Amino acid sequence: MGTDLRLDSVSATMILVITGIGALIHVYAIGYMAGDPRYGRFFSYMNLFVFFMLMLVLGANYLVLYLGWEGVGLCSYLLIGFWSDVPANAEAAKKAFITTRIGDTLMLVGLALIVFRFGTLDFEAVFGAAGTVLTKDAATAIALLLFAGAIGKSAQVPLHVWLPDAMAGPTPVSALIHAATMVTAGVYLVVRSHVLFELSGVALTVVLVVGVVTAVFAATCAVAQQDIKRVLAYSTISQLGFMFMAAGMRAYGVAMFFLVAHAFYKALLFLGAGSVIHGMHDEQDLRRMGGLRRLLPITFATFLVGALAQAGIPPLAGFFAKDAVLEVAQHTGRAAVYALGSIAAFLSAFYLGRVLFLTFFGEPRSDRARDAHEAPPVLWVPLAVLAVGAATAGWLTLTPEGRLTGFLEGITGPTPAGQGVAVAALAAVATVISLVALASTWWIYGSGRVDWVGFRERLEPLPRAALNGWYVDRAYDTALVQPAKAGAWITAYVLDARIIDGAVNAIGGGVKLLADGGRHLQTGFVRSYALAVFLGAVTILVYVGVRS
Amino acid sequence: MPLDNIVFWVFAPISIASAIGMLLVRNAVHAALFLIVNFFCLAVFYLLLDAPFLFAVQIVVYAGAIMVLFLFVIMLLGVDSGVPIHERLLVQRPLAFLLGAAFVVEMFLAIRAGVGFATKAPAVFTANEGGNTQAVAKILFTQYFFPFEVTSVLLLVAAIAAMVLAHRKARTVTQAEIDAAAGEPDTEEMPVYGAEAAP
Amino acid sequence: MIPTPALEFRPILPEILLCTFAIVGMLYEAFARRPDPVPHLAIAIVGIGPAAVTAYALWDWSGPSYVLGDTVAVDRFSVVSRFVLLGAAFVGCLYYTHYASRDPGSFRGEFYPLTLFATAGMTLITAANDLIVIFLALELLSLSLYVLTGITGRRRASEAAMKYFLLGAFSSAFFLYGVAMAYGAATSTKIVGVAAPGIVQALAGQTGSQALALLAMALLVVGFAFKVSAAPFHMWTPDVYQGAPTPVVAFMGAATKVAAFFALIRVFDVGLQPLTWDWTPVIYGLAVVSIVVGSVVAIAQRDVKRLLAYSSIAHAGFILTGLTAANSTGIGAAMFYLVAYAVVTLGAFGIVMLVSARGEEQTSLDAYAGLARRSPGLAALMTVFLLSLGGIPPTAGFIAKVTVFSAAIGAGNWPLAVVGVVASVVAAYFYVRVIVYMYMREPAEGIESDDGVMPRIAAGVLAAGIVVLGIFPGILTGILEPASIVRW
Repeated sequence: MGTDLRLDSVSATMILVITGIGALIHVYAIGYMAGDPRYGRFFSYMNLFVFFMLMLVLGANYLVLYLGWEGVGLCSYLLIGFWSDVPANAEAAKKAFITTRIGDTLMLVGLALIVFRFGTLDFEAVFGAAGTVLTKDAATAIALLLFAGAIGKSAQVPLHVWLPDAMAGPTPVSALIHAATMVTAGVYLVVRSHVLFELSGVALTVVLVVGVVTAVFAATCAVAQQDIKRVLAYSTISQLGFMFMAAGMRAYGVAMFFLVAHAFYKALLFLGAGSVIHGMHDEQDLRRMGGLRRLLPITFATFLVGALAQAGIPPLAGFFAKDAVLEVAQHTGRAAVYALGSIAAFLSAFYLGRVLFLTFFGEPRSDRARDAHEAPPVLWVPLAVLAVGAATAGWLTLTPEGRLTGFLEGITGPTPAGQGVAVAALAAVATVISLVALASTWWIYGSGRVDWVGFRERLEPLPRAALNGWYVDRAYDTALVQPAKAGAWITAYVLDARIIDGAVNAIGGGVKLLADGGRHLQTGFVRSYALAVFLGAVTILVYVGVRS
Repeated sequence: MPLDNIVFWVFAPISIASAIGMLLVRNAVHAALFLIVNFFCLAVFYLLLDAPFLFAVQIVVYAGAIMVLFLFVIMLLGVDSGVPIHERLLVQRPLAFLLGAAFVVEMFLAIRAGVGFATKAPAVFTANEGGNTQAVAKILFTQYFFPFEVTSVLLLVAAIAAMVLAHRKARTVTQAEIDAAAGEPDTEEMPVYGAEAAP
Repeated sequence: MIPTPALEFRPILPEILLCTFAIVGMLYEAFARRPDPVPHLAIAIVGIGPAAVTAYALWDWSGPSYVLGDTVAVDRFSVVSRFVLLGAAFVGCLYYTHYASRDPGSFRGEFYPLTLFATAGMTLITAANDLIVIFLALELLSLSLYVLTGITGRRRASEAAMKYFLLGAFSSAFFLYGVAMAYGAATSTKIVGVAAPGIVQALAGQTGSQALALLAMALLVVGFAFKVSAAPFHMWTPDVYQGAPTPVVAFMGAATKVAAFFALIRVFDVGLQPLTWDWTPVIYGLAVVSIVVGSVVAIAQRDVKRLLAYSSIAHAGFILTGLTAANSTGIGAAMFYLVAYAVVTLGAFGIVMLVSARGEEQTSLDAYAGLARRSPGLAALMTVFLLSLGGIPPTAGFIAKVTVFSAAIGAGNWPLAVVGVVASVVAAYFYVRVIVYMYMREPAEGIESDDGVMPRIAAGVLAAGIVVLGIFPGILTGILEPASIVRW
């Protein structure tokens, strides 16, 4: 126990992602944040985040992990609200912090249960003894409580609501914390604790269901977003769902592989979006973009790589990653998972195609789009490097000896195998799905033959509902937030202010009166003092006399 | 009625009356004289209690030496008689009487319950074995020699205390100091120690 | 041949040394051409230091438990008290040296001998095993303190000294009457008798008079309660604390309480141990009244010295709370409290002295306004002391309060603990108010400041002690545990 650290294949993979992508994003931020009055503070927060993130993945026990876990939560809060002079940003930061705290609190209960059962938080000790110490029910309880933490941190349904709002932070923050690293901590937690999840079985099913639901649900939301960063935020939630999907099927190596691939292309997409926003003078609305491929050629090229990678076009990273998940689902006989995963994949190709065509093709739809300018090298060099990564990260699985999953096998166990349709056929189907999705987006948004604005209006109220995340936020507000606020108001202004404070003030006033009275007894005359002494003496004597 | 009792009943009222008189008279000298009477009665009580040594000491030391000193002081200082007392808490005086009465009753009851009034404690006879004065000497120089020594320290402190309170320091400025001060024209004011302490 | 008791002087060497160097100090004062505070301080330290060494030598005393005709007890209990008292005397002398250098007009060299005499009386009273010796020691320390109170000769100080003297004499009369009654009950003035049965043996063997013993108990309580300033015998405290020179108050406030309480513990927990069921309710009542009066009346005070005086009354109540448990737990708790209280009192009055400046003009709360801005060090130290007085962690005052309350609860006196906790909440108000003045008010104009280094160092050390004891109370409890077992 204590502050032990541990380096194994899983944490090594995480470290490489954090430091590698983190370094590129830092370089990018040099340009992106230039001129900000709190430039220094931004980088100190970012580095504090990297410190806590490394602590999280390097800890050899749940205590260190938890410290890192809370530390990254704090940094996330500080960075989302970095431009806190806009009240909405501060609100978003609070929302992110409080929402994840719900998961964190449950996770803390889970850790307490582990201490209670095992007397230690050390990974080796807990996983070694888990089989003998835990009953199935106890394992389920612990695993689900830990998973609650993961749900909060990785923005899974039903605690996903904070991540779209977290886009209020500077774009490098979104890329590093809310795409590549922090939000994947939940995946890391599940992979790290897979022994406990497997002991339970039920917990794994929950992970799978949450992953599938999130992947599809978030993808539907992403399709309707108007803000380029919110599209990517919902996209991230959806992709994290894929990772949990893999983990829920015991394919932890695949989950980690997905994590690595996703880190590359999602960071790339976010930074590309940042470059667009930068070039358009802080414009984020897709409806005011268009035709930017001529003005921002490098950004366009790199963004295209990222989008195609996530859409699942071979041989880019996303193709292999998504394919691996669907392959496991198909081969282990989970047809429903396979079908829903394919739908999510279709939607993800669709919304990325939408972003791509609305942003870079067609005619500029605003003055800002017409005046946009290409990013300086300090912004596009990291983009280029990430584009190379996003293009090639998938090859990690190509050769048997180079497989990332093989490297991780010592910790995660082998990827479940089974009988099913040939891998090549699955790949072909997936590619076709992606191509169809991209083609339909070209037809709707790129060809100019469809009035996509009118099309959207004809579909109302569906797009509006999807834009608003299917009103989950509003439901939470009505069902939970407002009653809680009302309760807090009653506690603060009725119970505390009137009843408790009133009582305290009354007592205080009474005591003060008594004090003044007592002060008047202190006349300053010796004879009065002597009388008090005498009074006390006689009182004691009478008491003793009466008693005996 | 034994002789003891007759003596007691004669002196007891005198002692009480003198004590009350001491409290009531306004003149300090008169009060001191009443106190001497009281001390004398007390000495008689010692005698009745088979303590002739204390009887002698009481008269010689208290009624004699100490009270004479007391009178000296009073006369030297010339205390005004009849300092007017403005009572602010009117309840004070009756309350004091009430408490005093309660105290006396309490003592009376407790002593009656404790040792009774009729008999002389038998311990007195064993303690006085071989004569009262010898017995006092024996106990004072064996068992109680340490308290006896402590008493000497106490008296020393009392002497110092009297000196400190009476002898307010008024330092005389020496010629050397005046010269030194004159040699330093910058010093505007010469420090005179005790200036503030003087009443 | 008259049997004489063995002359074993080693157990009273500390007192002998103190008195000797007190006399040396007086001779210096008498014969020196121009007495100076520094040689006086040196003489006092030469007395106090060896006294502490000789006291330490008694920690592992292997001789008889009672010496000099059973008038003096030799035990670890009295060693602990001697250390605290000698420390208080040392700090008091240190303070006065600064006080005198700041205000040479009021310097009186007799301060040092009188402090040593008072300390001798105090250490003797905690070791005394004979009611007569206790009375003599009580008079020794009282007489010295009366004079110390009025030593500057200022009007206020003289008035305070007069009041203290008159009321002290009044309470001494009760005490002496109690001694007489105790003799009547047990035909002995020894608390524990070895050569002949003492009070405790007589009462335990039911050979004495129960009624007289109870009377004695009630009267002795009055004498002690006056000295520890428990209500309603507390009336002198605010006037004397306010009027006396601050170094004297620092010494007196810390040491008198320690000495009187240690003596009270010996007389009641040892001598009157067979009457435990009769005296604990009395202590209980005094504790309640003291806590309530001290905590409540302090609220109305605007003078910091008076405020601390009322605080000391409340603290007397808290210590009595611990003593309602008539066992080594209660004694240990009271001892811890006393040590913590002595340290805090010395420190707090040190700060008061520094703030009050020349002539002691600035003792009202207004002088503390904005102290944090004028001298942040002083404000920080004062904050530590006030927090400890209020019983707020991580200070020794917190641990002390917890131990006395748990001792009282252990003895079944939980209502008393409830009163104590409620009063602590009330008391927090006026301690925190001083802190508020120091940190959140604008400094007043024309406040003279004092930059004495020595008192600052002393107060700093005391504050550090308070915090260390608050975090590691085991350091002290380990020492007090073997010392708190006083029995016959």
